[in-house]
Amino acid sequence: MHNTEAKDRVSMQLHYDVSQHYYQEATLLQEREYQTWLETFIAEDIHYWMPVTERRYAKDKRAEPSPNDMAIINDDYDELKQRVDRLGTGTVWMEDPPSSVRFLLSNIEVFHTDKEDEFVVRCNFITTRHRGQLERSQHVGGRVDLLRKTESGYRLVRRKIVLDARVTEDKNLYIFF
Amino acid sequence: MIDMDKLVDIEKSTQSKQVFWDQGVYDRELERIFGRCWLFLAHESQLQKTGDFFTTKMGEDSVIVVRHTDGSLKAFINSCTHRGNSVCTADSGNTRSFVCNYHGWVYSTDGSLVDVPLKERCYHDDIDMSAMSLPSIRVESYRGFVFGCFDETAPSLVDFLGDWGWYLDTWMVGAGEGAELIGPPSKSILKCNWKVPAENFVGDGYHVGWTHASALEMLGGELGGLAGNRANMPFDELGIQVTTRHGHGFGVIDHAGIGIHDKREGYAKFLQETQPGVAEKLGQPRAELYDGHWNCTTFPNCSFLYGTNIFKVWHPRGPHEIEVWSWVIVHKDMDEDTKKEVVKQAIRSFGTAGTLESDDGDNMVNSTRNNQGRHTRKNTMDSRMGVGHEGPHPDYPGIVGSSFIGETSYRGFYRFYQEIMSADSWDAIRAKDEQWADCFPNKDYWKDRLAAKAKAKGGE
Ligand code: FES
Ligand SMILES: [Fe+2]
Repeated sequence: MHNTEAKDRVSMQLHYDVSQHYYQEATLLQEREYQTWLETFIAEDIHYWMPVTERRYAKDKRAEPSPNDMAIINDDYDELKQRVDRLGTGTVWMEDPPSSVRFLLSNIEVFHTDKEDEFVVRCNFITTRHRGQLERSQHVGGRVDLLRKTESGYRLVRRKIVLDARVTEDKNLYIFF
Repeated sequence: MIDMDKLVDIEKSTQSKQVFWDQGVYDRELERIFGRCWLFLAHESQLQKTGDFFTTKMGEDSVIVVRHTDGSLKAFINSCTHRGNSVCTADSGNTRSFVCNYHGWVYSTDGSLVDVPLKERCYHDDIDMSAMSLPSIRVESYRGFVFGCFDETAPSLVDFLGDWGWYLDTWMVGAGEGAELIGPPSKSILKCNWKVPAENFVGDGYHVGWTHASALEMLGGELGGLAGNRANMPFDELGIQVTTRHGHGFGVIDHAGIGIHDKREGYAKFLQETQPGVAEKLGQPRAELYDGHWNCTTFPNCSFLYGTNIFKVWHPRGPHEIEVWSWVIVHKDMDEDTKKEVVKQAIRSFGTAGTLESDDGDNMVNSTRNNQGRHTRKNTMDSRMGVGHEGPHPDYPGIVGSSFIGETSYRGFYRFYQEIMSADSWDAIRAKDEQWADCFPNKDYWKDRLAAKAKAKGGE
């Protein structure tokens, strides 16, 4: 496991670089350039994870969800690649005509870790999806990422996506967050 | 007045499209189906210690199921007997009592009212607390799967499941210590009538090749051949479909159990190692089913895929919307790594973001939504596939269809749907226990087919 304990905040320049990287990622996904996203943004040791979070009483001392528990997405690289590949088969009827997905990112915070080339990045998101005539959904949440700086740019090593809603108001979450 | 004979035509194997849309039909479903059938609540593994509770729904009613201090499971309606507020607002947890947020009434884990604030001074002690328990619900378990029922006159859970229990035992008791569910459930909204996914899981082997073409193509493996319906397969030799007395049913694709799983070494090994034990414990017919891929619905709204191992409940929210709750089935005897592998694979295919789950949603929504059209819903839907190619089987109880692609269990589902919607009481349903299968008239289907098969074999 990587040490992701966030240390000091990064410099203004680095914060700017990482923010631009994130906007670029959002643009790629909005334009359905999933293959490019996979090839140029994702590290091969990726863990891409969306846990299921119950509504529990404040006094409830049970552990937070871990990657060993029930989840909504819990993918390694191969599995993420399959998600991308499926969209390229030409037989995903639900994406033809395609839906319009848009990502609004904010509150981007970037921290050093005790590895020089790895950073913890937190941000909030609103992701919207419009489909067909009147169908629309909106997903609000936060991401906690581990980002690695490599010779070919930043690569996503770990992403934890936390949705604020207990019940997803959408027919599925086949969306890259 | 709702005429169920018009809504479900058993002779023609059709259903009126109104069953997916009309408020009047839905209201009667809540009364006669959700009010009288056993409904899945939770798995005992979630409720082991005294005070462990889980909040869920039965129809549109909010319900708490809890392990009481005497060790038994209790269930009651989650609505205070004072002014109706919820007495529990968490998904699950452990508690000694349920305290209403409104005025502070306190209920014990058997639902009885144990404390009323200011009882002496403001009620002047004039309140009979023993008469103000939370309305209780019958609770029974089958192999650790906990069900609740509002109706005191309903048969026991075992009798309600009937022959379906015989099939469930294949995986619920076949291997070692049995099965359990991994949660907490993921939850999502699907804007469809609750029967659309229920009928799909009970018997829709037909849609797999087309609806799921992209996912099957991506996965390859045993089921890859079904993608796009391109393969020339002898479908009558690849599995069966079954319907039973109270509408429960399933389809099984032989030996394709873990076909949807990608990383599955642990699961494959587990199945291989445990299959001989199933034969010993339960006999060969069920051992044959044990490594198949099952699509199933326990009437009315509890569906699962054994093999892929997703377990779902379709909670209705009006006629046009449901909440989908998803758990994962594992065998208790699997090692921890195998359990994790199964959970990961099951959610990857049929969780809220699942690669196959995502194929189904549109079909279910549109099959419902189109009936908003007044003239659209004057028409009927068809489920005639395989009529006549089904009947009693020497090895398998219920009515058995010739192939996993067929609509035998659709017909069985709507046959019971019509019966329970029409019946005034469980006694009226019980009175038909001997005749329920009369609408599947080809009693010799399997006798003839198996004889022909034996003959062909002998002649070789
Ligand atoms: S409504 Fe529950 S105490 Fe009044
Ligand atoms: Fe499906």
